[in-house]
Amino acid sequence: MTKISDTTAALTEQPAVKRRDFLKVLGVTGAATTVAGCTSGEVEKLIPYLVSPDQTVPGVSNHYATTCRECSAGCGLIVEVRDGRAIKAEGNPAHPVNRGALCARGQASLQGLYNPDRFRTPMKRQGDQLVATTWEDAMQVLAAKLGEVKSRGQGSRVAFVNQHELGSFPAFLDSVLGGYGIAPHLSYDAEAPIAVAQANRVAYGASWPQIDFAAASLIVSFGADFLDGWGLPVPQQLAFADARGKIEGAPRFIYVGARRSLTGLNADHWIPARPGTELQIVNALLGRGSLTAAAESAGVGAGLLDGLAREIRGASASAILSGGYGEDAGELAAAVAELNKQRGNVGKTIKPNEGYLAFEGVAGHAEMRAVAERMNAGEVPLFFVRGSNPAYTTAPGINFAAAMAKVAFKVSFSNVPDETTSLCDLVLPDNHGLESWGDAEPLRGTLSLQQPTMDPVFDSRATADVLLALAKGDPQMAARFQFVDYRSWLSARLGGNAAFKDALPTALKTGSSAARTSPPRVETRRARAGAQQGTHFLVAYPSPTLGDGRGANKPWLQELPDPVTKIVWQTVVEMHGETAASLGVEAGDLVTVTTPAGSITAPAFIYIGIRPDTIAVMLGRGHTASGRYARAGQNAWSLIASAEDQRSGAAALSATKATIAKAGGDVRLVTTEGSGRQHGRGIAQATTIAALIAGENQKEHHLFEGQASTAFLPGLRSPTANDAQGDFGVPNSKDKGMYDPNHWSGAAKRRWAMTVDLARCTGCSACVTACYAENNIPTVGAEWQGPILLPDRTGFGANITRSREMAWIRLERYWELDREPKDVHFDPEHADFETRFIPMMCQHCGNAPCEPVCPVYATYHAPNGLNVQVYNRCVGTRYCSNNCPYKVRYYNWFGYGDPSRSQYAFPEPLHWQLNPDVTVRQKGIMEKCTFCVQRIKEAENRAALEGREVQPDEFTVACAQGCPSRAIIFGDAADEHWSIAKWAQDRRAYHVFEELNTYTAVVYLQKVNHPAPAASATA
Amino acid sequence: MATLAHPANEPHRPNIPAADIQLPAVKDYEQVDREILATLQPTKAWFAALFTAMAALGLGIFSWGYQIHQGLGVAGYNPPVMWGVYIISFVFWVGIGHAGTLISAILYLFRAGFRTTIYRAAEAMTVFAVMTAGLFPIIHIGRPWKFFWLIPYPNWRLIWPNFKSPLVWDVFAITTYLTISTTFLFVGLIPDIAALRDKEKNPIRKRILSLLSFGWRNSEREWRHFARAYLFLAAFSTPLVLSVHSVVSFDFAMGILPGWHTTIFPPYFVAGAIFSGFAMVWTIVIPMRKFFNLKHYITLNHLDASAKMVLMTSLVVGCAYVVEFFIAWYGGIGYEQDYFWNRVFGQWWWAAWIMLTCNMILPLSLFSQKLRRNPVWLFILSIFINIGMWFERFVIVVPSLSHDVNPWQWSGYMPTWVDFGILIGSFGWFFMWFLLFVKQLPIMALAEIKEIVPPKMKAGKQSHASHGGH
Repeated sequence: MTKISDTTAALTEQPAVKRRDFLKVLGVTGAATTVAGCTSGEVEKLIPYLVSPDQTVPGVSNHYATTCRECSAGCGLIVEVRDGRAIKAEGNPAHPVNRGALCARGQASLQGLYNPDRFRTPMKRQGDQLVATTWEDAMQVLAAKLGEVKSRGQGSRVAFVNQHELGSFPAFLDSVLGGYGIAPHLSYDAEAPIAVAQANRVAYGASWPQIDFAAASLIVSFGADFLDGWGLPVPQQLAFADARGKIEGAPRFIYVGARRSLTGLNADHWIPARPGTELQIVNALLGRGSLTAAAESAGVGAGLLDGLAREIRGASASAILSGGYGEDAGELAAAVAELNKQRGNVGKTIKPNEGYLAFEGVAGHAEMRAVAERMNAGEVPLFFVRGSNPAYTTAPGINFAAAMAKVAFKVSFSNVPDETTSLCDLVLPDNHGLESWGDAEPLRGTLSLQQPTMDPVFDSRATADVLLALAKGDPQMAARFQFVDYRSWLSARLGGNAAFKDALPTALKTGSSAARTSPPRVETRRARAGAQQGTHFLVAYPSPTLGDGRGANKPWLQELPDPVTKIVWQTVVEMHGETAASLGVEAGDLVTVTTPAGSITAPAFIYIGIRPDTIAVMLGRGHTASGRYARAGQNAWSLIASAEDQRSGAAALSATKATIAKAGGDVRLVTTEGSGRQHGRGIAQATTIAALIAGENQKEHHLFEGQASTAFLPGLRSPTANDAQGDFGVPNSKDKGMYDPNHWSGAAKRRWAMTVDLARCTGCSACVTACYAENNIPTVGAEWQGPILLPDRTGFGANITRSREMAWIRLERYWELDREPKDVHFDPEHADFETRFIPMMCQHCGNAPCEPVCPVYATYHAPNGLNVQVYNRCVGTRYCSNNCPYKVRYYNWFGYGDPSRSQYAFPEPLHWQLNPDVTVRQKGIMEKCTFCVQRIKEAENRAALEGREVQPDEFTVACAQGCPSRAIIFGDAADEHWSIAKWAQDRRAYHVFEELNTYTAVVYLQKVNHPAPAASATA
Repeated sequence: MATLAHPANEPHRPNIPAADIQLPAVKDYEQVDREILATLQPTKAWFAALFTAMAALGLGIFSWGYQIHQGLGVAGYNPPVMWGVYIISFVFWVGIGHAGTLISAILYLFRAGFRTTIYRAAEAMTVFAVMTAGLFPIIHIGRPWKFFWLIPYPNWRLIWPNFKSPLVWDVFAITTYLTISTTFLFVGLIPDIAALRDKEKNPIRKRILSLLSFGWRNSEREWRHFARAYLFLAAFSTPLVLSVHSVVSFDFAMGILPGWHTTIFPPYFVAGAIFSGFAMVWTIVIPMRKFFNLKHYITLNHLDASAKMVLMTSLVVGCAYVVEFFIAWYGGIGYEQDYFWNRVFGQWWWAAWIMLTCNMILPLSLFSQKLRRNPVWLFILSIFINIGMWFERFVIVVPSLSHDVNPWQWSGYMPTWVDFGILIGSFGWFFMWFLLFVKQLPIMALAEIKEIVPPKMKAGKQSHASHGGH
């Protein structure tokens, strides 16, 4: 309207204008304004707060420190909250466990918070269904049931299965349960390495000693997948990356196991021992038995084990880890601990005094089986479950679901549907971890507090508060539980309200929550004889991203390519090329895997990192009742025979043998991999430590050198867009125009750039999820792959199978092979192969091929080095993507960000997570990595408001922030005070496709390999 | 010459500059008017053909509508193959257009007599082919309702298209080409429209034809101006034959993809365009001469002469293929070598061999005079060449994209029904216009044919007063 009034003011001053003319002009102007104001979107109103909630400034983020509850580790979180909604979870830099890093699962906690399948109200069973009810009703029913149990004195027979968690809540829970005469709850975690934890407790006096990889010169892992989510993923990965990042003096890493996991792929050397023979190898290393015999039964060359023994002997300090999920996992862990002691590693690399408490008091498969047996016998009158899903995460042999059917009344406190909760009669949805009060003691003496970051999304209530209300309602308990809520109970317990409140800003406090006691031991069970009947060893492993299945209803995690197979949404049967050839199948052909426990039919995946006598299937997919995203794939738990580790009762996931048969038919593999080999193109480059020390590390450029260009800055060949400017791009020209960093205008003062250290990068893919969270990247979804993933889905599909995933950053995983993986012959002496991971995102080229070809200037170069994409200007010719050598531009094929479309990626309330600083892209436009331009702008604006310059390393981008390997460094390469300025000049620095003269802003640092020391040197 | 240029028993005619193509069965002007205007009478077969074309167009419109509504994801794009059937068809249709301009303009300037009876059909084909081609860039973009952003129109925001982008050059090339070829077609039609007007009984049609003929009176002065204008337009169109497809080839040659980034593309594309255009001319003209009873106008001599043109362009195109392979090997760039190997012997061997067979091997049959003068074979060959040339563009667009420098993103490509629906619709669109054209306006230039036919002498008897200077 200002336009019109301006015009009227101007016009009325001129008497020559007649009234009629004036009205004409007014009409035209008004129409023009109306037309200009037309947008395709509907008009929305912005209503300011009349009275602003405490601490909330519209458009300005609050950050709350809390504790991650996605696994047992207890990492610290900083949650960014905008206008009352949590929008991003990041690691807490002050936290001793994760030091600011966060894994993909931690990042994805937001999708648990905003999961569209969360229970919106309490639910009560009516016939076959759970129907919504009120809290008053639910509480009454629950109180009545508990009163019944108590009055009949059946409390000791009630079972409560809780998710495994640290802190005070377990003690609180037991104290309330105790009031009803109920036995202590079981703290179940299907993926916890219980066997190892228990052996550690015996051997070292600590269940999970800290492993100081940096102090070791050799790491040996017997199936310990410490980079795959086994144990405490983030601190282990940080420690490992710090060790490898030392470069000189970094430890060499040997992996022993039948299947090379992500951890195995990060090893310098692979010994492909048969499943179940690790113990014999360790015993031989301890001098109990001969190495030759061990090599014989392990099916590997004797030379490999001799070499292993020699290297362990020769290492000044080694870190030897055991993992695995065999029936002898506990025994193996004990033997490995003995080996560590023998080598003098305890205290040097294995540090029990700085141990983690994550796996204290955790219950295993045997305990669940015992519960199932009790339920089956009709001994359990009332069953509680909270956050745990034993009906899915146990072997089918114990038939947990059928056992539950024999329980008269089952209550769930889970806030999302799952296989166990769907069998319950009453659901009292708990608050999500990000809505709850709590605490954890991840390290002895360190308390990590948990505070709500926002009001509950739905009508859920914290279980602790529900229990408190129940206790207050019980006359015998009321006196002991005179607290307003769980927070006041907790603060009273942790040193008073004031101290509690003071600790909240960092959520860190010294102190201790209740000591945990281990659950009473139950007898473990061996596999039945039939379990060893199959033709192939079966390795069923917890997913690095979905865990035991708990992450399956989070589209970020489902669509995050598995770090090893690069498969999304799908369950595949991993087998060696020789196995496939003997079965007569190719990749994608359906095979049926049968064990005494059950069978699944899934496509074959050819994997060189597995023995030909072994197949592997990932756990975690194929849910029946865990929400809309969890349906895809097959449930590998159905293959697990109910065998257990003899010492600890952990599920023996790799103790079953399977028979595989061609099932007929094939499907496309839902993978993000094109060719898994580099074809000599020097994308992910590596050097050896010896070459590096000698100063001989060669660039792996196989074609020719890139053109020398105007180098403003060391390390970056063409730090600005100078070369993109056609006529100005004369390399020797002194006139660099406004792109000169020293130009008076200051337009090109900064050059945003990134380094990626491939010696640190493990390929874990946490950066990918961080990017999804930060940049509103849509997931394509299983729904849109046709019948490949969901048989009942018959509409058009094939999107990820047509490479249409949207990840702005991807982890390329290259096998260093001279032939296709399916043609690789398995040689037990020389099965080793090298794998390289490289994160690939927009390289923000100084001389970007995408820019000149865009007909509408939707992509152009900013003086600060950014390659900018203007979504609103893009018409979608896709020429930029064609011309991009790195293929890092992603096209929005269906309008994933448009709520009116069936492909909408953020169904209510998932869209609450969307970052308000980043556009949700519409149909038909190109999108790509922006170097988190919103973070750059935020930092610059903040600095401008405070009247200062942006400080060196003041902020970083989302992928770098989350990276648990600290492999990514972002900053201003034009300012020597930023750490990137140093890293860009590292001796290992190179640019991908340098010969194309794109002058990228992303500098990669070569991976460093540690080949076996010469035999004579260590003898 | 292997071919007999003119029947032995007939003397040369003085009014044909290069009198190697004659129409012995055409005796006088009345016969020309009668026979050619007779083709304007609609027949059942024509209605059937028109209905088929419009049904195909309907399928295309439906497919496009579906694509606009759903998003481009319903087409078979498989990143990094971000261009597919639409760009292939765009280049294909632009290429088709080139033969028309070559025949009507360049061959006119070179006084190649065999063009006379086929140039009108070829010129109409050009206009409709460019009209078809022009649709594809719009069909292909993600937000087709914003296509006008590629046009440099003055706007309040002072945002211009990026003049460095070959896609903007395309916009200029195509619009220029459409303008010039339409003008050229129309100008050539003026005397014929006047002839139609004179015979027209229906007053409304007569009025329209009068308007379109600009009141042509067949005067000496008008003929002088007409000839000048036609010559001027021919000269004006001639560079377009070379430039338009060169610009189209820049869409690829300016990219840095292996298989695209090559300097041979402009001449290679132009030769291919003429090659494919002649094939399309055959596809149209050979049935036409049969069904419209025009065999004595479009004689075997005409077909023979055009077959030589096809053979020549086929050899040029074949040479370009071989040079591409040679340079890929000789250049020593791994990316290029990998790509060409994959194209011919790897993932895309079938497409490459369809291209090589149809465009390089089968046309070699035209070394045989017998086959050159066999309309059935020429028709069959024209279909093969059309397919081959479509696959040539497929081989240029898809394998390069699917197998570029970053192996991690290598992929395949399979079009969906939407791609095929729009492709079929484009043929429907093209043939609909062509079929409407042939029943509204003479498919042969009456005036120019009359130039070949000996004029009526005052004696009243047909006479060959002047015998050529042989």
